[in-house]
Amino acid sequence: MRQLTEDETKVFFEKLAKYIGRNIVHLIDRSDETYYFRLHNDKVYYMSESLMKQAISVGRDQLISLGVCFGKFTKSKKFKLHITALDYLAQYAKYKVWIKPNGENTFLYGNNVLKAHLGRITDDTPEHQGVVIYSMSDIPLGFGVTARSTVETRKLQPTDIVAFHQADIGEYLREQDTLF
Amino acid sequence: MDDTTQKSKYKPVTVEKPIPLQYDLAILAGFDTNALDESRLKNDADTYLEEYTRDGTQLIINQIFKLPVTSSDLGVMAELPDLVTVLPREKPVRWEKFAKIKGVQHRKKSKMIYDEATGEWVPRWGYKGTNDDGANDWLIPVPDNADPFEDQFTKKREVKKERITKNEARHRRNVEEAEIALNQSKGVNDVNTRSLRRTELQKQIIISKTATASMGKFDKHLEGEPKLKGVKRKFEPIIGDVKKEKESSLNILNKVVGKKGDIVNVRKAIAKRDQK
Repeated sequence: MRQLTEDETKVFFEKLAKYIGRNIVHLIDRSDETYYFRLHNDKVYYMSESLMKQAISVGRDQLISLGVCFGKFTKSKKFKLHITALDYLAQYAKYKVWIKPNGENTFLYGNNVLKAHLGRITDDTPEHQGVVIYSMSDIPLGFGVTARSTVETRKLQPTDIVAFHQADIGEYLREQDTLF
Repeated sequence: MDDTTQKSKYKPVTVEKPIPLQYDLAILAGFDTNALDESRLKNDADTYLEEYTRDGTQLIINQIFKLPVTSSDLGVMAELPDLVTVLPREKPVRWEKFAKIKGVQHRKKSKMIYDEATGEWVPRWGYKGTNDDGANDWLIPVPDNADPFEDQFTKKREVKKERITKNEARHRRNVEEAEIALNQSKGVNDVNTRSLRRTELQKQIIISKTATASMGKFDKHLEGEPKLKGVKRKFEPIIGDVKKEKESSLNILNKVVGKKGDIVNVRKAIAKRDQK
């Protein structure tokens, strides 16, 4: 476990900012307790100070996971957000997409969001913007990237893609062993 | 004499030019980039050029009078500024220096010379040239005190090869000296080209050492060879300065999102305005 270097932090924040923009401030600067981002086995974990202090006494090889895993650095040093970060993304998301109940299942199996399944979308969402995807009852289901801006989605065919799939809560089952 | 006659007698000291001149007063020069009046240049070139020169000279003199002045027993002197025009620096090679001392004159030589033996014009040097020093002779007499079993042809060839390598070394030295002079002119005084090259070579050796399948792990090492030290990664402590960490991550965030960031949503603002 260690602090992120400056370059790593930059890559990480760039990815995170695609979904929550400046709201990253609320993750860094919390009023309740100091929270930290720490790197362990190329994965970025978000944890409170008390938890981190406890974890220090655990050896590097023995430590498997702690706090909330936000994602991992790939071998080429890009950052990949994991679905485990959804709680925080959903809390601070700037752009949201709601999908109809009949589209929930396909999305949770890892498919893109189609126009036919689109229930609602935040106004003035730009193209290629990171969005959090909700069910109609406001349960966060995952996140993705918009294929078109809000205005353009209106002209689309029902089978056209509205948002590209990035991660969904189905991964908790499908990728149990690599997720945390 | 009253004012009007004086005015008509002398030309005005002010000269109007569409593009102001550029001056290099250290060499008392002004550079006029204005276009010449072509019709006047064709019709009465002499008077036009005379006027033109007078105007230019007047402008330079005007500039000189603007300079700071010191008065000495020789009279009032203007202090000329530093040279503006960049002149190429003299860069003699070793031979040129030597020739200057010895007073060796450079004569232009024609490239082709007449070969009396064959009755042909051949190049003075180079391919099919005449300066092969008899390496192409069909017979070379063995000198009196030479080893009779020595091959005189190979000997000549080797001598020539040696000369060539020696000349190349001289050329390299000249280039090095020129580099040093260049460094000095740039203000890098203490950097010796040789030491520069040495460090460069050492770097390359280090790189080449790791260019084996085992990254140099199983290579034979020389005795007393210094052990290579890589750059050790250094990370901040796990629990360090809380304030500092927060600050640095906020700084990075500002860089990523932009300081003002997305406080104003431009798209939304435009959409709202359009609705109204």
